Amino acid sequence: MIARAVEEAGIPTVSLSSAYDLTALVKPPRTFFVNYPLGHTSGKPFDRQNQTAILKEALGKAGEITEPGAIVALPYVWDDLTWLAGA
Amino acid sequence: MKYVKYVDVTRAMFPDQPPYQWTENVSAPWTPIAKPLSQSRVALISSGGVYRKDQPPFKPDKNDLTFREIPADTDAGDLRISHDHYDHSDAEKDVNCVFPIERMRELAADGFIGSLPEVHFTFMGRIFRKTQLLNEMIPGLIARLKALGVDLAFLVPA
Repeated sequence: MIARAVEEAGIPTVSLSSAYDLTALVKPPRTFFVNYPLGHTSGKPFDRQNQTAILKEALGKAGEITEPGAIVALPYVWDDLTWLAGA
Repeated sequence: MKYVKYVDVTRAMFPDQPPYQWTENVSAPWTPIAKPLSQSRVALISSGGVYRKDQPPFKPDKNDLTFREIPADTDAGDLRISHDHYDHSDAEKDVNCVFPIERMRELAADGFIGSLPEVHFTFMGRIFRKTQLLNEMIPGLIARLKALGVDLAFLVPA
């Protein structure tokens, strides 16, 4: 909702999200999906390389998105996949 | 792709209440990205309840309609988190998990992004008063982004 309002005010936005279904409903203008447990949207703790990679992909590729509301899934995978067991 | 369906998770948490109606939009607003990233001033906006230790904490449950301005050169060790509704145990040890202030400084220093504004912005999610949010908090935030010459806003929800 904030992204949409900022974009409407004339400032382009790019968002990260770890909640694909909620983002698909709300539709921020440009979103990169990080499939990590909530609380780690911009990367794993003390993993500078992982955090930098997420930021560089989202910021660097934001300009390539041409479809408003697009959600681009980033390829990063959480180490322990048991958190996705019920998904 | 396997991912957690948070609409279902939220409904399961409150089985006795009518299902929460998430905002559903059919389209998205659009402002073209006009400047190259290497010439753009990029502001970080986080909903993770992050504040500087000398600022007032957020109301950790819901409906805190204030935001904090975090100077872009703030030491990560001076940041705290006030938010009862996500697991921020990792982010308390490394705030860059939800508020990548150090990574933003590095990207600006190596020229990947053009510059940082004097301050980044944080607030607390779980605001259910949409009219107040749109009429009170958001206009103030947008005015600050414009005053600081921000070219691109980077939103990181927790």
